[in-house]
Amino acid sequence: MKNLLLGLFFSSFIFANEQIPAPTQKQPILLKNGLIHTVSNGIIKGAILFENGKIMRIAENISPSIDTKVIDLKGKHVYPGLIAAVSGIGLVEINAVPVTNDHSERGDFNPNVRANVAYNPDSKIIPTTRSNGVLVANVIPGSGLVSGQSSIMMMDGWTWEDATLIHPSGLHINWPNMGIRTNGRFQMSSKRQIERRKTALYSLDKMIEEGRAYSKLRQTKTRKAEEYHNEDLRFESLMEYVNGKLPIYIHANEVRQIEAAVSWSKRYNLKIIIVGGRDAWRTTTLLKTNNIPVIYENVTSLPSRRFEDYDQAYKSPALLYEAGVQFCIASSGSAGGAYSVRNLPNHAAMAAAYGLPKEIALRSVTLSAAEIIGIDKQVGSLDPGKDATLFISNGDPLDIRTNILQAYIQGRKVDMNDKHKILYHKYQEKYRQLGILKE
Amino acid sequence: MKYKTILFIVLVSFLTGQVEPAKELHRNPPRVWALTNAIIHSSPTITINDGTVIIRNGMITNVGSKIKIPNQATILDMNGKHIYAGFIESWLDVQTATIDTSLQAYWNSNMRAYLNATDIFQPKDKMMKNLRALGFTTAHIVPKGGIFQGASGLVQLGDKPKVLSNNVAQVIEYVSGGWQGKEYPSSLLGTISFIRQGFIDASWYEKSLEILEKYPDGNEPIQMDRSLSSLALAKKNKQPFIFRTNNELYIDRSNNISEEFDINLWIKGNGYEYRRIDEMPASFMIVPVNFPGKPEVADPYNSLQYSIEQLKHWDMAPDNAKKLAKAGFEFSLTSDGLKNRQDFKNNLSRTIDRGLDESKALAALTTIPAKKFGQAKRLGQVETGFIANLVIVDGNYFESKSKINAVWIDGEKFEVSPDPIINAQGKWILIEGNNSWELTISSNGGSLKTDSKSIKLANYNLDQDRIRFSIETDTLIQSGVTRFQGIIKNKSVSGRVTYADGTNGLWSAKFDSIIKEKVKKLKKDKASDLSLVFPEGAYGLDSPVPSPNTILVNDATIWTSGPNGILKEWDILFQNGKVKKIAKNISLPRGKALIIEGKGKHITPGLIDAHSHMAGESINEGFQNVSAEVRMRDVIDPNDVALYRALAGGLTTINLLHGSANPIGGQNVIMKLRWGNFSDKLIFNKAPQGIKFALGENVKRKRSYGRYPETRMGVEQVIRDAFTAARDYKKSWETYNKDVKLQRSSLPPRRDLELDALVEIMEGTRLVHSHSYRQDEILMLTRIAEDFGFTIATFQHVLEGYKVAERLAEHGAGASTFSDWWAYKYEVVDAIGYNGTLMANAGVNVSFNSDSDELARRMNLEAAKAVKYGGLEESEALKFVTINPAKQLKIDKYVGSLEEGKDADFVIWSGHPLSSYSICEQTWLDGKQYFSLEQDKFLRGRDSKIRNDLIQKILLSPDLGGKKMKANGRSGNRFESCDAFDSYTYEGEEK
Repeated sequence: MKNLLLGLFFSSFIFANEQIPAPTQKQPILLKNGLIHTVSNGIIKGAILFENGKIMRIAENISPSIDTKVIDLKGKHVYPGLIAAVSGIGLVEINAVPVTNDHSERGDFNPNVRANVAYNPDSKIIPTTRSNGVLVANVIPGSGLVSGQSSIMMMDGWTWEDATLIHPSGLHINWPNMGIRTNGRFQMSSKRQIERRKTALYSLDKMIEEGRAYSKLRQTKTRKAEEYHNEDLRFESLMEYVNGKLPIYIHANEVRQIEAAVSWSKRYNLKIIIVGGRDAWRTTTLLKTNNIPVIYENVTSLPSRRFEDYDQAYKSPALLYEAGVQFCIASSGSAGGAYSVRNLPNHAAMAAAYGLPKEIALRSVTLSAAEIIGIDKQVGSLDPGKDATLFISNGDPLDIRTNILQAYIQGRKVDMNDKHKILYHKYQEKYRQLGILKE
Repeated sequence: MKYKTILFIVLVSFLTGQVEPAKELHRNPPRVWALTNAIIHSSPTITINDGTVIIRNGMITNVGSKIKIPNQATILDMNGKHIYAGFIESWLDVQTATIDTSLQAYWNSNMRAYLNATDIFQPKDKMMKNLRALGFTTAHIVPKGGIFQGASGLVQLGDKPKVLSNNVAQVIEYVSGGWQGKEYPSSLLGTISFIRQGFIDASWYEKSLEILEKYPDGNEPIQMDRSLSSLALAKKNKQPFIFRTNNELYIDRSNNISEEFDINLWIKGNGYEYRRIDEMPASFMIVPVNFPGKPEVADPYNSLQYSIEQLKHWDMAPDNAKKLAKAGFEFSLTSDGLKNRQDFKNNLSRTIDRGLDESKALAALTTIPAKKFGQAKRLGQVETGFIANLVIVDGNYFESKSKINAVWIDGEKFEVSPDPIINAQGKWILIEGNNSWELTISSNGGSLKTDSKSIKLANYNLDQDRIRFSIETDTLIQSGVTRFQGIIKNKSVSGRVTYADGTNGLWSAKFDSIIKEKVKKLKKDKASDLSLVFPEGAYGLDSPVPSPNTILVNDATIWTSGPNGILKEWDILFQNGKVKKIAKNISLPRGKALIIEGKGKHITPGLIDAHSHMAGESINEGFQNVSAEVRMRDVIDPNDVALYRALAGGLTTINLLHGSANPIGGQNVIMKLRWGNFSDKLIFNKAPQGIKFALGENVKRKRSYGRYPETRMGVEQVIRDAFTAARDYKKSWETYNKDVKLQRSSLPPRRDLELDALVEIMEGTRLVHSHSYRQDEILMLTRIAEDFGFTIATFQHVLEGYKVAERLAEHGAGASTFSDWWAYKYEVVDAIGYNGTLMANAGVNVSFNSDSDELARRMNLEAAKAVKYGGLEESEALKFVTINPAKQLKIDKYVGSLEEGKDADFVIWSGHPLSSYSICEQTWLDGKQYFSLEQDKFLRGRDSKIRNDLIQKILLSPDLGGKKMKANGRSGNRFESCDAFDSYTYEGEEK
């Protein structure tokens, strides 16, 4: 049976070159004799059954119906798919080649651009990412002051429409720098920097005020022609955000940025999420009292100041956790970070090594992430009724040495092959031909 | 005898006066003076109370307390005044032009050694006046511009500056054009090599000229070069070479150059000398007193932008001169580098407050520079036979409240801030009409008092003996403003009063009594009570790391990375910095060793990173396509906190590499992370030399200034061409060295630092570490190497190495790769995480490198990726960051595995070293503990206290001016990587 499982696992890429998106789940699948890491409800030694893309049951023993495909896990592990709370995946192929970058639109004010329409489902990065258990990603645009709207994507599908789980998931703002940068290549005078900051902050205020005024105009029912207000794509896209219905993701790392963003959200009664959050540990009381969640992107960052603890970035999640701040762990959502989302689980492990309880570390890349980006009803944990977006692994997925054997996205059996495996096997073959490799 | 000297000097000055014809009429002002009743500081250690100085024709002809005043002399009573020898400004920049159109110019405009500051000095009245106002009567003028900047000179600061010397020293500065530069060098790396090559060229030039003179027939003439000629002459005459320095590291670099070329080293200091005072060379230094301004810490968040190192410098910089004096350095002081030159006197007073001897300070302004600048017999003392350069002060110069009244230069007086001719201060009785009021005049205004009230004077002014003021009142005299003006004479005033309605009257006043003014006492500056740590700032060490003789770790899981594999619950003994013994059980007499309980712990060799840019102040010299002459060892920054952070992740040895801007880059340096030590002690001395090459996108990228090559075809040709040239070069030296006749009568080959390095590569003594990605270029370079008879030591990154692993193995190159980076640029589109395992399985020695200060902190987890991708055995995976990189760098005899006799470099982990959940608990190097969680905890506590105390101190201190500190100026994170997402660093350098 073990061999069968491995056989299934390997056969997919020995014969295939391109990865083929999986068909919808046609028969119930029962994974038995495994360790089911529910995240929401502890670890259950037993079985998990899913049907039509949804989890039906998790129990010690489940007797399968006749049409159920039964897979004996022989003690292997089942986890909910990992979630990248922010990522540039699908929008960027090769960051250094500008024509392959659809992550950064021109201009400072692009609330209307939508991530999912530019998501390339055939990106070579996607299969390498799901090979490491990351099955859902909140794909975000990332330029200027107001970057655009993100979409939550599943890491499989023929088209971006197939792959979209939720759109829009939020509006993204890069909070202006609140200090004065003096080091390095940054040559702008402090006066100019202050002016620029004022302009940027003013335009954010204006965006909310005008956005509300616009929304009032558009929502007023009228038959009078002269009262009809022409549409504006930018303002149109802002309506749900200025009225506090959908979250605004504020990308902010430095403590003054975080505090300014929180006070802005209070002033206008907005729903915000802090992304980045390098200094969030310095202002936990504010974040907790105002119920502001943090998507912490910086586990593998250097301390931002020379005098900070060498492990500051590693241990910040533990500090947020102890202070009761709602948080999750992400890897960089920047264009350059798109290819390395696959190391997301290692970020969580690093945080665990420096004080975060292991189960919280796992939660921080599954259920906590789902809660913050608003998809916890569908994914993030193994609970009946949720999507069967999960994977089988040979161990703890946060540990680097672990491999993911098989993943399912909404019950669809994902092709676990990827470009790297193909090249690996291609060149193994070369060395076999040369007689260097024996098997 | 004395008389004769005087006569001689007088005669000379008379004659020099005759050179220029009179413009209108001859001018012969009186030139004989007697300054009497003064306190004369005739030298830094001798003071004459009630002394007299006789000046005749610009010279001091006599000094003493009871000397005869010549009849001819006009007596100037200096009662209460202090007289000092005129101060020498040891540094005054003279900007030079860049363009040298001479046919005798060097190939590079940074070479301007031929220039003389005295040829280009354009004195501006205002500048001269400002310098005199500080007491300076002579200045050492220094050309500024380029790298070899030319010769400095010494001038008198009179109206028409007289040159005392036109060639004091040759001046050198570490400048470079940066990434946008239009000429070599573009970096500190290149600048240092430029300086070294400059000295070599000068020697070659000198020798060639000698040969040409002796054997003009048969030798092709060489290009005449004014600069090389000046340099050679300066060196031959043992003239000083002054290096301008930015901090203590630059002083060290200058010292290295001076030792290599046996030159007379002087240092233009920077204010950071105190940081590593024990490491400073015993050279003459010209030191600024430019203390940093108050850091802006009022906003607690803003204060986060300052590092502890910066805050400490604010506190400790004014102690610099005192510390130099105490350590016995010979130095002079300069006002150069001050944001506001006027702060010089105050800053000097602060230095005195903090414990610098006044005599040392005075010497640093007078006798020392006089001696160093070759004028010990003419300048720096108030002594018979010296030039009449004097400073007249109304008190002790080194007290902040004293004022300079005048300076004398060449016996001519220049007023600075003369005493008022009348002192109006005191209580007066003012009479106006029938009114009699009390008038009080103080140093900054005054008041009028009637029986009932006191009115402040407005518009008070005292100009020589003319006084004026006004009062505004509605009850006295008339409603409105009443104006008084008058003349003071013999303690009485009489004058006119103008009433509010425009009518006039008379007023007078009689002096009544002296008033005692409360003098605002300036708080004396106190020396900093902080002690230095190494390196300065957070996590610096208070004292050298202790070196226990014997260390025993018990019952640990030992990952040897050697033939013994993994040993569970074994003991390991370290002695004298080496691995002494590894055995199942080692017992030692009690108290003989430091015992570490290893149960449950894992021990690995110290980790090794074969590709790092940490602690490199400069990374790329990318202007030319070959820069084999530059050396990373010249630009080590031992203060880089990245070293400490890497130690905290178990890293002990790095290969500090040049960047990847050009096909043949610079020479690398292997370092041990001996945190706290100075640059030279970080170097792994037994490691062989090496060099960085680079292929592919980084080197062929189009440059704004148009650099060849722009294709991989061109890259191949550049490298082939370089080695062809090196082969010819080698041959020309071999021919020359063999043939005595040739050596006598022919021009010698020119020694070329770039070609030297290439020859060493061909001879196998310099290892090549080549940045590479694609299989074609990897293959190509192995072929070139084989054509020229050498082996590539490592291919760095080598992300397509898995495609040509058999070629790597056959060639014998190591592969130092990223564990799993890919897709960040086009040439890594085929990079795979399986690269390491595939190559290893095909017989290549593989290591994983970081190329990143961040990743360097967790190389054990990088190794774990070889287990994940391709299923390498765990002990083999760990070797990717231990013995394998050691082999690649040819240091495996000493480090990389735990075997008896090897260096005691080891790490104690809380658990399995490849597990993401384990952390590094202790890092040992050479048998010394350089990191431990316990020590780290102590340092955190210590530093947060220092930080807090300093911020409190700053908040309570007055603003004393000074240059604003750039927040995080010297200690921000660098973004070190060949190929990080941002391939440009803050310095604008490409990795």
